[in-house]
Amino acid sequence: MANNYLSISDILVSNEKVPCRFLHDLPKLGFLDPSCTEEDLKAGTSVEIPLWLAESLSSRRPPLVAVDLPKVYKETYREIFNADACTVDLHKLAQYFFELGCYVAKYDIKGEVATTLVNTFRQRFKMILSASVSTDSINALQPLSSSERDRTASAMASEKALSTWLKRGDSLLTTANMVANHRKRKRAEMEML
Amino acid sequence: MDPYEIEFIGENRIVSIIPNFSYDKIYLICGEFGPFRAGLPMNVPLWLAVMLKQKQKCRIVAPDWMEVDNLENIKEEEKRSRFFTKMPNEHYMVEAKLILGAASEDIPNASEIKTIIKDIWDIRMSKLRTSMDALMKSGGSYGRLDHLTMMEINSVKPLLPAAMDELLRIQMMSKKTTPATLNSSTFSQSGTSQNT
Repeated sequence: MANNYLSISDILVSNEKVPCRFLHDLPKLGFLDPSCTEEDLKAGTSVEIPLWLAESLSSRRPPLVAVDLPKVYKETYREIFNADACTVDLHKLAQYFFELGCYVAKYDIKGEVATTLVNTFRQRFKMILSASVSTDSINALQPLSSSERDRTASAMASEKALSTWLKRGDSLLTTANMVANHRKRKRAEMEML
Repeated sequence: MDPYEIEFIGENRIVSIIPNFSYDKIYLICGEFGPFRAGLPMNVPLWLAVMLKQKQKCRIVAPDWMEVDNLENIKEEEKRSRFFTKMPNEHYMVEAKLILGAASEDIPNASEIKTIIKDIWDIRMSKLRTSMDALMKSGGSYGRLDHLTMMEINSVKPLLPAAMDELLRIQMMSKKTTPATLNSSTFSQSGTSQNT
């Protein structure tokens, strides 16, 4: 987790809500539960809180909450994923499926979430492969989760570059990325403005 | 990496040409190339050969491996074997594209050679894709990719290592099943210090 502190996608992932059960009474924190009418939060109420909050609350000694698995990682969905992972629309279901799964897998007693994650990843890899060579990119990208979409986009770009090279003979001379991003170049541009 | 960069690397290979002019030795950065005598074959880099051909100053001699029988054998070999066979040289696609593009009249049976090389390329690419998929399905730890040319490796460059990294990360993270590790306690400490 240390190297992901500043990564934007990691911040988005840890903002996803997970259901938790509060283990103690917490005075004056009733507002956390939108369906609660009293001022105090009773022990045993189940609230959806973001992952970053859940992690810190559950790692204190004694723990204040007990984290449950979100719906997508429970038994029923695990069966679906093990049967055929390619038909699931991960974008609608859980955009950050794999990353959130890594965090959530720690709270799973049986340890089956980990194997499900790995299996779904493997099965969906084939989808990424076929999406990268398909011409109908919008429909192909639709059911993929956010990280899968990044990988597919880069694969599509390299395929396109390869096919353009195969068709065309020559290319226009373009500046290399390294040169265009060099500090000296940028300074020269700024001085011209 | 762009395909054009690989073409650039592949252009450095030596091919043999027959110039139709005479000139002394030329001294280039990459080496010196012997006195040019009209009608006598000599070896130069591919980029130089293509440039001279476009100025109509030479004839390009087909490299040894670029003949119909040789390529047919390679194609059969490729179809039969499950792994990748050794290609006649590292940049066969680059050379074929450049030579057949610039000097197709110098090569006998140029159109047949073009089709055969395209077939070999297609067979290898589809084999590469299926083996990538099989790699991810089975173990994802390592795969046998010998005798792949640079161009083919480049086509899977962004996808395959990224996918394997992700797989490794998922496997590593989900192995830590104890909820109270050192990481999360420092995480909560830094969280509280941000609030104050």
